[in-house]
Amino acid sequence: MNSDIKLGVTLFSFSGVYSQRRMDLEGILKTVHEMGYKGIELVAAQMVPEYPDPSDRWIGEFRNLLEKYSLELVTWSAYIDMGIRSDRDLSPAEIIQYTRNDMIYAKRAGASIVRTQHAITPEIFKRMIPFCKELDMNLSIEMHSPHHPDVPVWKEYLEIMASPDSEGYLGVVPDFSIFQHTPHEPAKKEFMEGGFDEEKLMRVIALHDAGKSEEEILSTESFTDFEKRSVHDIKHRFSAPAKVEDLGNLLPYAPYIHGKFHYLPANCVDPTIPFEKLIPIIKESGFKGYIASEYEGGDAEHTVEQLSRFVKMNTALLNS
Amino acid sequence: MFDEFNKLMVAESDISNIKAGESVVGYEFNVQYPSYRGTFLSCIEAFTVDVDGEEIAPDEMAFFINGKEVLIEELHELFREYWFILDYAKVRVYRKGGLPQGSTHKVHVFMKHRIPYTGYFGNYMVLDAHCQKELAVG
Repeated sequence: MNSDIKLGVTLFSFSGVYSQRRMDLEGILKTVHEMGYKGIELVAAQMVPEYPDPSDRWIGEFRNLLEKYSLELVTWSAYIDMGIRSDRDLSPAEIIQYTRNDMIYAKRAGASIVRTQHAITPEIFKRMIPFCKELDMNLSIEMHSPHHPDVPVWKEYLEIMASPDSEGYLGVVPDFSIFQHTPHEPAKKEFMEGGFDEEKLMRVIALHDAGKSEEEILSTESFTDFEKRSVHDIKHRFSAPAKVEDLGNLLPYAPYIHGKFHYLPANCVDPTIPFEKLIPIIKESGFKGYIASEYEGGDAEHTVEQLSRFVKMNTALLNS
Repeated sequence: MFDEFNKLMVAESDISNIKAGESVVGYEFNVQYPSYRGTFLSCIEAFTVDVDGEEIAPDEMAFFINGKEVLIEELHELFREYWFILDYAKVRVYRKGGLPQGSTHKVHVFMKHRIPYTGYFGNYMVLDAHCQKELAVG
């Protein structure tokens, strides 16, 4: 196995488990350690009790837990919460403040990468370079569905990342949601619970998979208003905004990857995201770092089982 | 994905009467922010409570979080006040006498809340969260 590529886990995968109080942060860290993970990502606004200003005491306790369970904090996930205020979007000064803040606490907690979001703006992204150098920290923007490399702002971001000025401090976190081409099981369940007839839904998905447009699908039979909205949703959420080949162009600037998935059946093959094509591209690219297991299915009861299947699938792909 | 979290909004803990000396000045119950991550109080765009089918007037109740009590009408201004998802906020209803010990009540909470980071192509997601539970006064 290529030892430069490691499988990590974002604690976001435990969203259901954590919100339902089935496990606390220590319980989750213990579980991921027992599963064999070494590298983790923390979504700060999710599991840091004193966010956005955690005390030294909390940071100390957290670092002790990492040590106890032999874990490395790889990535600290930050948001650009543009809409915090009711009266206006965040100002550039506020975006900088929140970003600087996350970078400082990320550093204190031991992370080397801060994941940020597209709303940071190209100007501010560039302006963070000296601070990244000061802290020796990588600041990377997550590329998440519905975004893709041809979105105008992303073209700018990719140019900035490629520029010698960024010296490798600015990058991208590709999230595999951008390659998701068909509805996953939780989405299908949601459509059916909302009243979408099961057989009709299967026909719609088959037409979607065959490349039919929303209009073409809607002309094949009659649909209720909810079904029409769901067809629209399928076309917009599950049409793989990025092409598999795009991944190769992102990887030179990617210190970290979000291995997003929503449901893996017992055979450990994802029918919605082409891992079998993506992992070989990563292997061939010379990528060094972590692919995070990012379970977004939200099923608290099956989280560990789903993550185990993810590890099994990717270990096999990385070894082949 | 947010629907799953709505079920958690009204916590399954008892309603408590609020006492001051010998007086019972009202009652309170716990609410959890219905998402996978915390938020700022300013992202709450509407917050209403019904108890046994009767809507509580906004000036009869208050919201208690981070050791501070704030009015419902103040929520939208509190853009530096963070609500951690495992911290229960208390909804306090000021009504003389509170509720009878041991009685049970249908508590329904509605919250309209803005997801501050969403907006891949410009718009914020605003969600309606409803949750009703039968709670005992303990």
